[in-house]
Amino acid sequence: MVVQRRKLLAGTAALAAFPGIARSQAVKPRVTFISQWSSGSDGAAITGLGKRFEQEGGIWQHSPVPGFTTDMMNKLRAEIIAGNPPAASQLKGPEIAVWSKIAPTVNIDPLVEAAGYEKLIPSELIDLHKPQGHWIALPMQVYRTTTLFMSRPAMKKVGVTKAPKTWAEFNEIATAMKGAGITPVANGGMRWDDGMRLEIALSGISCDAYRAAIMNLDPKAMKGPEMIEALVQARKFQKWMDPNTAAQHYSVHLPAFLKGDMGMLMMGGWAQGVIKNLGGNLDDVLITSVPQNEGKPVFVLNADSMIFWKRKEPDLTAGQQLLAKLMMQKDVQEQYSQTTGSIPVRTDVDLSGSKWTDGQREASAVLNESFKSKRVLLSLAHNMAQTNPITAAMIDVITEYVHNDKVTPEQAAAQLVTAVDNARG
Amino acid sequence: MASTLRASRWLIYAVLIGTALFMLMPLLVVVLNSFRTAVEIGRSSVIGWPTGFAWENYISAWGHYCIAQRCEGIKPYMWNSFALVIPATIISTLLGAIAGYSISLWRFRGDTTMYAIVVMGVFLPEQMKLIPWALVLRELGLNDTITALVLIHTVQGISFTTLFCRNYYVGIPQDLIKAAKVDGAGYFRIFWRIVMPLSPPILIVTVIWQFTGIWNDFLMGVTFTAGSQQPVTAALIAIATTAPTDVPQYGVQSAAVLLAALPTLLVYFLGGRYFLRGLTAGAVK
Amino acid sequence: MRARLGRYLPLVIIWLPLLINAAHVVGFTAWTTWLSFTPSDLLPEYSWAGVRSYRAVLRTPSTEIAYINLLLYSVGFVGVSTVAGFVLAVLIDQRIRIENLLRTIYLYPLAVSFVVTGAVWSWLFNPGLGIEKFVRGLGWSSFHFDWIANRDYALWTIVIAAIWRGVGFAMALFLAGLRSIDPDLHKAAQIDGAGPWRYYLRIVLPGMAPVAISVLVIQLQYAIKTFDLVRAMTGGGPGISTTLPALVVYDFMFQRAQLGRGTASAVLLLLSLLVVLVPYYAYAHWRARKDKAHG
Repeated sequence: MVVQRRKLLAGTAALAAFPGIARSQAVKPRVTFISQWSSGSDGAAITGLGKRFEQEGGIWQHSPVPGFTTDMMNKLRAEIIAGNPPAASQLKGPEIAVWSKIAPTVNIDPLVEAAGYEKLIPSELIDLHKPQGHWIALPMQVYRTTTLFMSRPAMKKVGVTKAPKTWAEFNEIATAMKGAGITPVANGGMRWDDGMRLEIALSGISCDAYRAAIMNLDPKAMKGPEMIEALVQARKFQKWMDPNTAAQHYSVHLPAFLKGDMGMLMMGGWAQGVIKNLGGNLDDVLITSVPQNEGKPVFVLNADSMIFWKRKEPDLTAGQQLLAKLMMQKDVQEQYSQTTGSIPVRTDVDLSGSKWTDGQREASAVLNESFKSKRVLLSLAHNMAQTNPITAAMIDVITEYVHNDKVTPEQAAAQLVTAVDNARG
Repeated sequence: MASTLRASRWLIYAVLIGTALFMLMPLLVVVLNSFRTAVEIGRSSVIGWPTGFAWENYISAWGHYCIAQRCEGIKPYMWNSFALVIPATIISTLLGAIAGYSISLWRFRGDTTMYAIVVMGVFLPEQMKLIPWALVLRELGLNDTITALVLIHTVQGISFTTLFCRNYYVGIPQDLIKAAKVDGAGYFRIFWRIVMPLSPPILIVTVIWQFTGIWNDFLMGVTFTAGSQQPVTAALIAIATTAPTDVPQYGVQSAAVLLAALPTLLVYFLGGRYFLRGLTAGAVK
Repeated sequence: MRARLGRYLPLVIIWLPLLINAAHVVGFTAWTTWLSFTPSDLLPEYSWAGVRSYRAVLRTPSTEIAYINLLLYSVGFVGVSTVAGFVLAVLIDQRIRIENLLRTIYLYPLAVSFVVTGAVWSWLFNPGLGIEKFVRGLGWSSFHFDWIANRDYALWTIVIAAIWRGVGFAMALFLAGLRSIDPDLHKAAQIDGAGPWRYYLRIVLPGMAPVAISVLVIQLQYAIKTFDLVRAMTGGGPGISTTLPALVVYDFMFQRAQLGRGTASAVLLLLSLLVVLVPYYAYAHWRARKDKAHG
């Protein structure tokens, strides 16, 4: 009798302890993440994502690498060589395919299917994240590089009320501004800025020529009439810029731009965030698409992504699953894009609320339209269209052309072809 | 004759002081800027007189400024740099003294060849060493640690320190060593009793050189450490590469630069005379 | 037993650090050279690919620009800082009252890292932020000093920053050399009635030749390895007009992740270093033999 009760007591005690045992067997998801996003709105956004991860019960360990993207990639490579890659890292565009060959990645197909994600995003993006046929990375945010910002004070000074619809109109407005003492183009002189201006010109002239030349590297297209026209237009931009801009970041021109001393800025959607941080008023700026000679919208895409590296530890694996799930969620994407000024990857997000700007709404509308009419292109200057070696070789040619008057457009086009050949070895 | 002498004295002083001003200009600009706010600098130029004493730049740079999501200023990174530089300098200097002594005074078979190889290390560019070191560190299991950096800088430092010490020790007469050997002194005795007491000038030069070189290194520091382990040079880069969405904070940058440069500046300030003396004694031949 | 230890311990102490260092020198150079003949891209691959990487590197426009720049930069930086260093050393040697102060001022740039040097000088040269803006603010509104933004002049801004840093070192070495000249020589010259000019030209200059050569060699190899300074000042721009060989190496290895080409350009860099070092070693060897001959 006593023995039975004791056994019962022992059994109950064990039962009471059992959930505890079960709990301690469960693993707390953890993720190690490296990126270059150490400050500014990117830094704030990734920190926000981290907080959300922690709210869902995970441990967030982010090590931002100071410096440029290269420094972060070097760190990533050093860690891969050491056999200790982070659970997830920043990586974008065609580099996802290249890097996925040097270290094992995680197949997140089941999670993507469960979220019904594939039908919500443009096919150009999908292909980049499935280099071997299954999902190994996720896009985090989308930017349009072909955004035109116009300073309303400057527009008033020359009596312009609408944005230009073709490059010819753009050139007219620029000439008028120059005549009125306004610097027409407020861009800067950094390498990627130089490259971006060419891709903006080319995509605005002909979507097909861009696809052939920049994305498919067809030599005929690279030397073709549309490319020459784009190079000529890029030269015009140069003449309309502040001559002191070599190696300057475009943001140093923003104060003058907001005042009306500079007229137009061709930049990615992220410039909204910069303007806001400077204390600028977005009402002073007209945000729209750059001129499209063909009359139909085109969206040149730049997206940041995260890639998942295979790890044996159960807590890291759990962390990767949690992070992937979060990244595909509507509310997480909204939070992220609201912080940085980008547009969410999912095309089913409603941007009509007050937390979104007109610029983001306009860009999203253009994305949806371009998605439907298959006019979504990948940015060259932001390492989306080609791998780093080819991009670097092409931008070398473009930036030299932009800063050196003695190179003719025909020469530059020929140099592009040779550079790509050489880079491919 | 006296007047041309006078005039030439004036000319000499003019040239020397003019050059000194040229050398001082950047330092002056940084010091002045460290007391100005970013708004002031953005409005005028980097060359200007501060309107007040923006001490908050220093306070922020030292303890509060947000670097890579950690808002503790450069203080933790300074400690990292010290933890790296002090051991690496001491060990590499000691090893260099021993190596220099062995090669120039004790002599052994193959010493000239070894010397030639070791000195070649002085000339190798850093970029080509990054990946090999990554491979080596992987084998040793040392990653993202200050220890890894200490190892790298010590091994690389031996090239410089051996060069300096050997060139200095060849000036010690061989007869001294021979006499000591005859007296029955061995390797260590000769080193402690004869060579070390004669070494202060070259040791100081070597320590100054190594301290400065390792403190100021950036490439190795950024590649082989992460996050809170990084040396202060990486922190400076993080402050300087303002994100596209920020306004450049020249004032705080200047304060941070000064604080980070203080140790090496002090070393040159206090040791400059010995630096010259050491060079005179033949650090470089 | 103790005798054994006494014999072997020194050998260990002598050889161990030297071997480790030599291993890293020889090993890393050998590894780099080997990789330059492989098709390595993101990670090292050890198969043979012949001289493909070399051909690709030599056909890349930035290589040619880098080496032309290197020539101009070396001549400018090394030439000016060596001559200026010598002149300053001579002047300081004239029993100047503020010698200690001046020496500290000339030497302090050596304490500053190249990164900081490049950053501060890039602020100064920046037309919208530095000297040009300052002078214009003073009233001279048409003052132009936008060299750093001009692809034809940008390299010279880097030369100026490098000279700023290098003059002190050259001066220190020359001063050390001057101070080690036998003072009796000076007295003898004075007795012979030779003026200061004669003394410097006929006696000092020839005697400084070895020091001058040391200065030249050290400055030249620094020039060839220049990386941080350019990266901090112009990033190789405007366009690619200020790129230098070390930047090309870094660009191939890390930006473009083409290790085969990166190591090939590193080997080219090493070869250009040899062009400077081999004659120097030959000279030092010849001088050592000469000294021995003269007892």
